Amino acid sequence: MILARLALRNLLRQRRRTALTLMVVVAGFLALSLAGGFMAQTFQGLADGAIRGGLGHLQVMPREAGGGDEAQSLEQSLPDGEALAARLRGDPAVAEVLPRIQFMGLLSSGAKSVAFLGTAVDPALEPKYMACAEALKGGAQVPGGAGSRWLSADPAAREVILGVGLARALGASVGGSLTLMSTTREGALNAVDVDVAGLQDLGLRELNDRFLTVSLATANQLLDAGPARSRLSVVLKRPQDTVAEQARLQVLLPETSVQPWFELASFYRQVKLLYVAIFGFMGLVLFLIVLLATANTLLMSVLERVREFGVLRAMGLQPQQLLALLQWEGAFLGVLGSALGLAATLLLRAGLNALHLQLPAPPGTSHGYELYIHFVPTVYVAVALGLQATLQLSALFPGLKAARLRIVEALRHV
Amino acid sequence: MLELRNLTRAYELGGERAGVFGVSLEVPKGCLAVLAGPSGSGKTTLLQLAGLLDQPDEGEVRLAGQSVSNLPEKARCDLRLRRLGFVFQAFNLVPVLSALENVMLPLQLQGMEDGEARRRAGAALDRVGLADRAHHRPGQLSGGQQQRAAIARALAPEPLLVLADEPTASLDHAPGGPLMDLMAELARERGVTFLVASHDPSVIARAHRVFRLADGRLVEQD
Repeated sequence: MILARLALRNLLRQRRRTALTLMVVVAGFLALSLAGGFMAQTFQGLADGAIRGGLGHLQVMPREAGGGDEAQSLEQSLPDGEALAARLRGDPAVAEVLPRIQFMGLLSSGAKSVAFLGTAVDPALEPKYMACAEALKGGAQVPGGAGSRWLSADPAAREVILGVGLARALGASVGGSLTLMSTTREGALNAVDVDVAGLQDLGLRELNDRFLTVSLATANQLLDAGPARSRLSVVLKRPQDTVAEQARLQVLLPETSVQPWFELASFYRQVKLLYVAIFGFMGLVLFLIVLLATANTLLMSVLERVREFGVLRAMGLQPQQLLALLQWEGAFLGVLGSALGLAATLLLRAGLNALHLQLPAPPGTSHGYELYIHFVPTVYVAVALGLQATLQLSALFPGLKAARLRIVEALRHV
Repeated sequence: MLELRNLTRAYELGGERAGVFGVSLEVPKGCLAVLAGPSGSGKTTLLQLAGLLDQPDEGEVRLAGQSVSNLPEKARCDLRLRRLGFVFQAFNLVPVLSALENVMLPLQLQGMEDGEARRRAGAALDRVGLADRAHHRPGQLSGGQQQRAAIARALAPEPLLVLADEPTASLDHAPGGPLMDLMAELARERGVTFLVASHDPSVIARAHRVFRLADGRLVEQD
């Protein structure tokens, strides 16, 4: 412990230099932990968007389901999807099952026709678990969207909710009438007249330009679907058990493919990969800056204490004990810097979140969002450990230099 | 106590060969011995060899009857820590530690408990008349006080041999006599052996034995 005490005294000897070094460590901690909190917000937002955008926590789909056009028809479907949904609702881990039909076709206003991608949902269940209200709120703010509401639960109602881009392309507005055209399971052409119940902003331009939602009853009339369903979105009681439940349900339902939401949310995965790469690069640069700045400071401190080290060695201190002395100095800088960095992070996080700053819409999306930096203890611990390792590394070279000093030369040093 | 046998350590200095050449001498236990001679005569080099701070090109250092000059580094460190004490011309106290903490340092490095180290360091400072300045840092002490603290630091681990390199040379405004009287007392009281390098007449006058060096060779002893 004498070496630790000596190291602490040495840091206090050059207070200004120590303070400057600490500032570098604090700045590194602050930048990385705030970036980590921002990333957590982004990931959380994307995950919520994917889960509540229709995927649920798990998707049950036909084993042969692919990502091509056949996925947008009943060509590949769960033949008795409704019965399967009823069976799954009895599972203790399942909160709800939302059957869906995915289809495509043409939407016509009489004057214009536009291709669409459609999803048929249960209008009574869907708003309880999915982000229908938020999408409608966005849709109500565009021209023609005033009065947007969710689909009627009446099985006789023939209504549609349009993506804002699709409505714009057709010149459609809430209350208007359109014709849905598609092919039945047997391949016959069919059409259904629908009223526009609302417009929805799904957050992504590509979806807004093509996407519409109808009730299962409407789709059934259009497609002659019977009990067949394209997919079942499963909402779990404990979302944190998604991976375990996916494995369990896959065993229970071997005739289907059970997929977790994150395997299907390709946008989420791409953004996560991109952010992790950016964060990794930024972290590398910051750790390098901290490494160079602190190594320089510790080296200067060694050069100023050559004679002192000579005396300590003459007194019997072993070379590895000098190395340990410098490691202690690095350790104190790391611990103190991370502690101050954490305090600064929490303060700045609180301040930034209180400002309710609006961020611009990310590329490919249609609206911005409010900045909210998450509190992420795992990021703080990881950053602190990374900085600690950097400090220990930065103390290594000066420590080796001190340990290699020849005593007689060190004692002559002026 | 200390025996140097035919020690040679040569190095280049300003294009010329310097160092010590074939020096043999013996210092008995409890003796205050002085290495005398002009600057460049090899006093410091010989002291460093005797103190295991450097290794001879040839010859042997024997301490308490054992050859110690060719020991591995770890054993040399251990010997310096437990059996040898050093007093330097420029005092060389650790500036961030108080006088008491400086004296405690070698004891703590030996692994001694803080309480015991504090007690022994306090006694050592008391013995050199510096008890009332124990909590002052080196910068708050005069040159003489710093040198007495350095002697206390060298003595606290109860070494067999204390090596002092020009201990009075930095005492600009204080005579070296009292410091040497203190060393002589300690040699007599505790049986500590001192080997002091100096060209100060007041130091030489108080020595039990004097070894005179010139051009790296022992030219006279009395």
